[in-house]
Amino acid sequence: MNKEYQVTAGTEVHCELKSNTKMFSDSYNNYGTFANTNINEIDFAYPGTLPTVNAYAVELALKAALALNCKINKKMHFDRKNYFYPDLPKGYQITQARSPIGVDGYLEIEVDGVIKKIGIHDIHIEEDTCKSTHYKDKSFLDFNRNGVPLIEIVSEPDLKSDKETVAYLEKLRETLLYLDVSDCKIEEGSMRCDVNVSVSKTEKLGTRTETKNVGSISSAGMVVMAEAKRQVEELERGREIREETRRYDEKTNQTILMRVKEVGNDYRYFPEPDIPFLVLEDDYIEKVKENLEILPDERRKLYLEKGISLVNANKLIQNKQLSDFLLGMEDIDLVIASNLLLGDISAYLNKTEKNLEDTKLTKERFSDLVEKLSKKEITNKVFKDILVELMETDLTVQKIIESKGIETISDESSLREIVNHIIEENSESVQDYKSGRDRAIKYLMGQIMKETKGSANPSLVNQLLIEELSKR
Amino acid sequence: MSKYLDKSIVEINELLKKKAIRPIDLVEEAFARIEENKDLNCFITLNKEEALEEAKKLENVEVDNLLFGIPIAIKDNISTKDLRTTCASKMLENYVPIYDATVVQKIKDKHMIMIGKTNMDEFAMGSTSRTSYFDPPKNPWNREKITGGSSGGSAACISARIVPFALGSDTGGSIRQPASYTGIVGMKPTYGRISRYGLVAFASSLDQIGPMTRNVYENALLLNSLVGRDAHDLTSVPREEEDFTRLIGKDIRGMKIGVPNYFLSDIVSKEILDQTNEMIHLLREKGATVEFIDIDYIENAVTLYQIIAMGEASSNLARFDGVRFGYSTENPESVEDLYRKTRKEGFGKEVKRRIMVGSYLLSGDNAVTYYNKALQIRDDIRKSFQKAFETYDLIIGPTTTTVAYNLDQDIDDPIKSFLDDVLVIPVNMAGLPGMNVPIGFNKDHMPIGMHIIGNSFEEAKMYQLASFIEKELDLNLVPGGDACE
Repeated sequence: MNKEYQVTAGTEVHCELKSNTKMFSDSYNNYGTFANTNINEIDFAYPGTLPTVNAYAVELALKAALALNCKINKKMHFDRKNYFYPDLPKGYQITQARSPIGVDGYLEIEVDGVIKKIGIHDIHIEEDTCKSTHYKDKSFLDFNRNGVPLIEIVSEPDLKSDKETVAYLEKLRETLLYLDVSDCKIEEGSMRCDVNVSVSKTEKLGTRTETKNVGSISSAGMVVMAEAKRQVEELERGREIREETRRYDEKTNQTILMRVKEVGNDYRYFPEPDIPFLVLEDDYIEKVKENLEILPDERRKLYLEKGISLVNANKLIQNKQLSDFLLGMEDIDLVIASNLLLGDISAYLNKTEKNLEDTKLTKERFSDLVEKLSKKEITNKVFKDILVELMETDLTVQKIIESKGIETISDESSLREIVNHIIEENSESVQDYKSGRDRAIKYLMGQIMKETKGSANPSLVNQLLIEELSKR
Repeated sequence: MSKYLDKSIVEINELLKKKAIRPIDLVEEAFARIEENKDLNCFITLNKEEALEEAKKLENVEVDNLLFGIPIAIKDNISTKDLRTTCASKMLENYVPIYDATVVQKIKDKHMIMIGKTNMDEFAMGSTSRTSYFDPPKNPWNREKITGGSSGGSAACISARIVPFALGSDTGGSIRQPASYTGIVGMKPTYGRISRYGLVAFASSLDQIGPMTRNVYENALLLNSLVGRDAHDLTSVPREEEDFTRLIGKDIRGMKIGVPNYFLSDIVSKEILDQTNEMIHLLREKGATVEFIDIDYIENAVTLYQIIAMGEASSNLARFDGVRFGYSTENPESVEDLYRKTRKEGFGKEVKRRIMVGSYLLSGDNAVTYYNKALQIRDDIRKSFQKAFETYDLIIGPTTTTVAYNLDQDIDDPIKSFLDDVLVIPVNMAGLPGMNVPIGFNKDHMPIGMHIIGNSFEEAKMYQLASFIEKELDLNLVPGGDACE
């Protein structure tokens, strides 16, 4: 692409909130149920019905606003956005135009080692519309989605590349997932991204286009590239960029015109008279803030401090159930702990198609296990042998080992006997040791473990080996 | 024919308790009276079979409250489950709700019996009930005259003594003005007193349901059973339970009353001014202090009302699109065509006029120029009233500028209909309670009413003054009644 042009992108992201009921009525918010079963007279906009406000959904939105470093509108109200469309039963959408719950926030992203703050213009609460499907000349409406609580997160035009766009969206998704605010599934529509792109040769931003409902986060990056390329080509041909709505075609990697934006699209916004001002008390905001989940950045920082590799740290963060499992166990050996969780335990969970919380593994028994491994009281092999029992019974590590007949030989005299026996059988290794070759110890160690079927206490064996070798 | 319905509610209650009469006697009498007064066109839909059935059921239920078994009429913009609710519009001609409004639930809880749904201006938009798709109701005092509106059917059926109780709704005077034209008692309570859940919205920030009755005591009695915070309506206000009849019969000596100068200006006809001045004289004679005051911007209230009410209405009525309920045009060519034709054919002229003006008022910069500005001035009116209530217990004036006029007068003048409500609209703007109490007749024996305005949540005090006046004047308020003239 022509290097004279600077690409600028911004995003508008809609996320469905994970509340039990809808934003303005008490029918269920439940994805995947039979069409038109989660509805009542309010969702259907029967004459005379009025909205109520879902306090839990407001709390989820507040969590998101706080995590995105927004200023909170402590006295907020809702507005009506008026337009006609079959998926909008009231003929207006209840949203927040003038006093969004959060404004002026930011999200930190890292691209190629550079940390950058991406501005959040605002985050506001609104209600979802019906899902409409079209078949031949018919349209079908599913009101289950109508009234589902949404937050819309509008970024500033701070994204200067496809990489930044992808990093921002990934970070946003990761954050919202951690807050348990939304399940952020783009394929199910619980997260929807619109990407605004403009190009300019000067400081002044160019005219932007909006590409709607991008199918994945990586596609959002492609949209930025493809749309910037198209706009530059247009400009180089001496044409102007119009404000328009486009969609992205993954097959051709091109954006396609949907409609040119009408001048002054008129939604006749006015304050929703059926909902009084909502006041968020300081105490309430403070309480929500205190109870916010520990966010990925903070967790990553801790993991790295504790010696976990960046790769493993990121793997843990991507698997929130594992990362959550480690909360409150910061004092154990996190390197061993993360290896166990990402290795054999993950393999077990995959194989059995279970979530960690569905197993019988408790934090107490897990830290006991890590403790024993780090003190070399048991070997990795023993751990592998007892894994299934650990996940499927309530027995302590010690009890499992005993019940399986795996005995850790920690008895010094019997171990010393085995050590001496092995040394005698491997006289050449004794020579090697004496001439200073360290691998002799490792070899002998291996032989002892073989002899004891891995049940000897490794640190004790090590100690005894050195004692006995030095006697010779 | 029996005449139980001419008795007071307390007397009827005694008879019911003694089992001297049964609820069905009252219901049958009410339907006989409806039949007798068919020409008044008070009702759009009758609930006859269900009402008779309900009355029979009540024979085995203990008479547990004063309202038990009493027939009541409901304005047709209040949602009644399984009972057609038309809003006097072709748009909802065949619409049968699947849920009860909160007030309807309350009425059912008291074992009152719903007789039918009353005629009104289409979607409550009008001041004469002439915008009804089902032809206007007629004034029982003179069948050539309007009932006023929009709660015209409710007013007429109380005035004609068809039923003792009716519900109306008041957005810009729609309870009080027809109450005045028909010589009955009508109360618009404080905004938030009564749940609006199930009241088909016209202007959400102004709408309020209220009781319409033959006399003051029975009005307070009905209000007792309608009020209360409702989880379905976030604009309803939690208040401690109170008995609105508690101050009735108390002396008014020492009461301080304000009369806004605007209410006695030349916008009011002479016969009404004279009658009002007589009342002021009487009140002073009986020991009340009456002083003349000014309320800021009160003369702008109608303009503000038009902006706010039409703006909100344009949005509230967007849901009538032919997709889910109500009228739907046949064989539309597209979705756009469905909307356009459904709304063109389903709404009447006045409703369409208000939707168009309202949409214009909220468009683009107009929202800031008009709607937001109107909200600000509205707040100033509210503050000015509040200030007056620091000094005065109540504010009074005439309810209307003229008595009820002919059904064919000014029929095509859209502005006139707002001017009928010039004295009652400021109360809606301020969210205050206001009521009409009859104070006499003009030379043609058409009723004249007085408007009593209270501070927020001071309905009981209003009833105190209203009942005092009622007792002092002891008017015969039965149209064509034996003692008439």
